[in-house]
Amino acid sequence: MSLRLKNISLPLADFVLEVDVEMHGRVTAVFGPSGAGKTSLLDLIAGLRVARSAFIQLDGSVLTDTAKKFSRATHRRGIGYVPQDLALFPHLSVRQNLFYGRKAREADGPSVSFEHVLKVLEIEPLISRGVTELSGGEKQRVALARALLASPRLLLLDEPLASLDVPLREKIIPYLGRVRDEFQIPMLCVTHDRFVALTLADEIVVLMGGKIMQTGPVSDVFNFPANAEVARFVGVETLQPGRITGVNEGLATVTINRVTLTALAPATPADAVFICIRGEDVVLQRDVAVSSVRNRLPARIIAIRPEGALFRVELDAGFTLFALVTRPACDELGLREGDSITALIKTPAIHLVPR
Amino acid sequence: MTAVEWQIVGFTVWVAALSTVMILPFGLALAWALARANWPGKSLVETLITLPLVMPPVAVGLILLEVFGRRGALGGLLHDRLNLDVIFTWRAVLLALSVMSAPLLIRSARVAFEEVNPRLEQIARTLGAGGWRVFFTITVPLAARGIVGGMLLAFARALGEFGATIMVVGYMPGKTATISLAIYENVQIGEDARAYRLLAVSVVLAFIAVWGSEFFLRRKKTA
Amino acid sequence: MKKPILFTVWLVLSAVALPLRATEVTVFAAASLTDSLKEIAANYEKQSGDKIIFNFGASSTLARQIEAGAPADLFFSADEAQMDRLAKRDLIDTATRQDRLGNSLVVVVPNDSPLVINSASDLANANVRQIALADPRAVPAGVYAKAWLEKLRLWPAIEPKVIPTENVRAALAAVASGNVDAGVVYKTDAAISKRVKIACEVPRADGPDIRYPMARVKGSPQPEAAKKFLDCLASKEAGQIFMRYGFLLRQ
Repeated sequence: MSLRLKNISLPLADFVLEVDVEMHGRVTAVFGPSGAGKTSLLDLIAGLRVARSAFIQLDGSVLTDTAKKFSRATHRRGIGYVPQDLALFPHLSVRQNLFYGRKAREADGPSVSFEHVLKVLEIEPLISRGVTELSGGEKQRVALARALLASPRLLLLDEPLASLDVPLREKIIPYLGRVRDEFQIPMLCVTHDRFVALTLADEIVVLMGGKIMQTGPVSDVFNFPANAEVARFVGVETLQPGRITGVNEGLATVTINRVTLTALAPATPADAVFICIRGEDVVLQRDVAVSSVRNRLPARIIAIRPEGALFRVELDAGFTLFALVTRPACDELGLREGDSITALIKTPAIHLVPR
Repeated sequence: MTAVEWQIVGFTVWVAALSTVMILPFGLALAWALARANWPGKSLVETLITLPLVMPPVAVGLILLEVFGRRGALGGLLHDRLNLDVIFTWRAVLLALSVMSAPLLIRSARVAFEEVNPRLEQIARTLGAGGWRVFFTITVPLAARGIVGGMLLAFARALGEFGATIMVVGYMPGKTATISLAIYENVQIGEDARAYRLLAVSVVLAFIAVWGSEFFLRRKKTA
Repeated sequence: MKKPILFTVWLVLSAVALPLRATEVTVFAAASLTDSLKEIAANYEKQSGDKIIFNFGASSTLARQIEAGAPADLFFSADEAQMDRLAKRDLIDTATRQDRLGNSLVVVVPNDSPLVINSASDLANANVRQIALADPRAVPAGVYAKAWLEKLRLWPAIEPKVIPTENVRAALAAVASGNVDAGVVYKTDAAISKRVKIACEVPRADGPDIRYPMARVKGSPQPEAAKKFLDCLASKEAGQIFMRYGFLLRQ
């Protein structure tokens, strides 16, 4: 599919949403913190909101063109929408909700079989129930099914996991993956959850403060954030200011406080940089024998906090450094607050972003 | 209660019900426009709708008399083109009841519409439903309690309407006599017993209508 | 220093003096007497210094109000029935009761009406669809009109077309507004309105005997002043005013 958003300008409470982008992925994640304008963007695409200026084209058919004062009505756009609050119709049964979009008209997108959707999302047993009797996860799947059954040519999802607790989130993501794989319907997913972006999306559009910071394949954005804000958001655990004191044969020496690190030289020469280190790239070791790792930092453990299946360890290595380790590893090493330990960081794992 | 009195009661209930049904389409449309949109002149319309609730009913009746009389703007048209008279006929009763009770319906329906989450209407549109379908399958069912409560309130008001009515009709049992007109007339001519019987019926009817209205308008616990 | 003192003295004197001088006489009178009585009262007030307060309406309504204890000094009814009603309840000073005036009935139509009504039977025609009468069950003007039509055996044909109104002036207004085809009112009323014309008069022979009795109400707040005004109403000067408005004198 190809979704073109050009000259979008929409004044919001604190900033103006300005977007100019083309999306082609099977699943595109619009990734950014809450309040960045992501929901407003979805509303514009669905035709639920009017922008000061906008040109929206989906697969060659123009949906909105403010220059020509044209905007196709929402119910004729064939764009499915699963909003954050799910908006299931409380006065209709599950079955009636599911059938709502299924009318006697030509499907805009690939036709979707009722039984197939029920099977993929495992909602057969829920059919005759009332909407208010469903649990959070069940409601999510019904809302998803309802949008799919209208045979849309594009599916919009607003924070699909936001209203669920952690164990439930891990259960729903596979369903979303199945929808991506079983039905040939492109999806545009708005989220601030890295996990969703990482597991589902082919490409990412990073939206912050109403402006697009970066677009590209998922791995590019996560491994090479374009600037400090994106890096912070994308989930780089350690982000510290530093200075490049020397560059030699593609390697840069970088100083933070009194600590020196070896990193890959950045593409554009810079003096003041941000040092980005992902928590999972920090190895904690008690006995440091000979190793290929260039950066071996003696550190003291400040705090250990659980994060899902991992532990986030806060270290003082001359600067604040975070490491993500598994529970078994933590037990094996006998990590305790106040301990001294060595932190190992491979040179390519340190990413330098010009300040 | 004599046959004539039952006839008066029957006529009153019938015309009140008819007026409630008549104001429904226009009232709901106006209530929806007030609830969902902003448009120039909106506050003027809101004020006009509230006027019959606070103006002296006889003043409203006088306005109706002027407009719908044979020499009036609308009444003249009806008389000349369609040979239809309004003033002094049952149509004037219907008119007076409608005008005086419509504001209650419109206000209740507006509140009911405002309480329907607009997100639900928007999602319905993304599912391919056009304006009318969204209105009848989503908005109205979800606002139903408030709408019905408003209708019952309007019905109760119409049952008891007097001031505007007496300006536009004479007292003719079988043709234009409502319970309130009959009570007034019978007191005038000294038929107190009849007046008290009609009073009793009036109280019972009003009680039922208002109790029913409160039942529907009472806020339901959020699901 | 002087002005406020003078003002206060004047205020006190007038407050004390007024009740001594100006007495209020409350008169409940039939609606058809509105204009004539107002003129007579205006003259009387200038001469006597008393103030006349009127309550005009259907005689039946007024009688009802007096029955309920309304503070009337005089009752001037458009028919005997309402006066008898009060007399039966011992509410009037029968010594002061006198038949003062007579009147005649006319059929009126809106002054732009093309209808031709020469006699009562014309009222039964199909082209006369609505006829305004003061409520024929109680208000004297309506009672008289009904009596007249019953005598001619036309009442059953005409009754379905009757629009009953609150009092005779309301019937007149209905005709004047053009909302009804015709009405039956007193000749004196027809003269008042410029927007109606008389279609035909009810001849004295066919018409009912219209009498306007007046009397003092027992237990009235101002018995002396009431008697004084009653005498004025019975006087020759008042009689001439009544005649100018088209009433017939019975004394």
